[in-house]
Amino acid sequence: MDPSEVEFLAEKEMVKIIPNFSLDKIYLIGGDLGPFNPGLPVDVPVWLALNLKQRQKCRIVPPEWMDVEKLEEIRELERKEDAFTAVPSPYYMELTKLLLNHASDNIPKADEIRTLVKDIWDTRIAKLRCSADSFISQQEAHAQLDNLTLMEINTIRSFLLDSLNCMYKLRSNLLPGSNKGQFTDY
Amino acid sequence: MDTQSYVSVPPGVGMGENFLSLDDILLCHERLPIRTECIFPRLGFLEKSSDMQDIPEGSKMELPLWLCKGLYERKKRVLSVELPKVYREGWRTVFNADPKVVDLHKMGPYYYGLGSQMLHFESPENPDIAQTLLQTFIGRFRRTMDSSQNAYNEDTSVLVERLDCLEKALFRSGQTGLHSFQNWEKGQASQLTASNLVLNYRKRKITDVLP
Repeated sequence: MDPSEVEFLAEKEMVKIIPNFSLDKIYLIGGDLGPFNPGLPVDVPVWLALNLKQRQKCRIVPPEWMDVEKLEEIRELERKEDAFTAVPSPYYMELTKLLLNHASDNIPKADEIRTLVKDIWDTRIAKLRCSADSFISQQEAHAQLDNLTLMEINTIRSFLLDSLNCMYKLRSNLLPGSNKGQFTDY
Repeated sequence: MDTQSYVSVPPGVGMGENFLSLDDILLCHERLPIRTECIFPRLGFLEKSSDMQDIPEGSKMELPLWLCKGLYERKKRVLSVELPKVYREGWRTVFNADPKVVDLHKMGPYYYGLGSQMLHFESPENPDIAQTLLQTFIGRFRRTMDSSQNAYNEDTSVLVERLDCLEKALFRSGQTGLHSFQNWEKGQASQLTASNLVLNYRKRKITDVLP
């Protein structure tokens, strides 16, 4: 999976905006949006929010978790715990990037938030690598990936799958006669 | 996304081989030390060192893996295959002690592939070989992973020079993951680029196209 595809999925997340125009309810396949009234907050998907923002038709209200104090708390917790802690949003990395890139004027302390999210990301990726290593070295057969987000899994997916494939084949060497004379067709 | 003009077939790794994998084709040319167990009549011209008509029983020579596999039969004792040095007891101890320090490229470069292929030939050491291969892979995994996931925008030749071909392939897949993520983070993923396929086309002259 490409990171831009993950980003595409993240754009379906809802975010609150304050429009400065008025429009009736609009009916889309994914659900009804609106009605839009100037000054009244309304929930829309991120893709629409960014589009409206680029045309200067709205102000984006940052999600609750996108706040320096809350993120600092999460960062400390993430550093303290050995296991993965719950993240505020399954698309925290993508949303931070999208919202900060397009609407940094609506989000207070944008730079600090960017650094904090990057810190959280780095901590989690380091943990992910550690757990992948112990997964391989203990020759486990399955692992539970609680609280991992799609983007995090995505960065290590191809490497981990290929390694597990190799390990499986090397391990099946241990059992004599298991795959002798077996051919794969191409 | 990476588009290549052909889909490369991955190596078979285990005891099976992938017929179309380039790595496996190179692997089956590795030479193995063997000892003949019967006379090979009228094949003496293959052995340059003597001018006898036949290859006598008990002579030692090196044959490529594909020929060994073809000639080897458990019941008929045509030839016996000796283990290459790296799979013998002495080196196995080294691998079990610390697999990280060994230069597998020099030892192999198809250490895992050839090791798995050696299991085709009956030998009391087979279970030990298989175990050592697995342990070596596991022991070196962390280093392969860390270097492939952290080396961004730097020369990777130092990192990969001691890796086996199999580990190199893993290293590359780790790098693709890292690069695509970094590209996305820098905002380059949203830029449209020409496909590799198109870039590889040569310019055609009108005379080539016309019949």
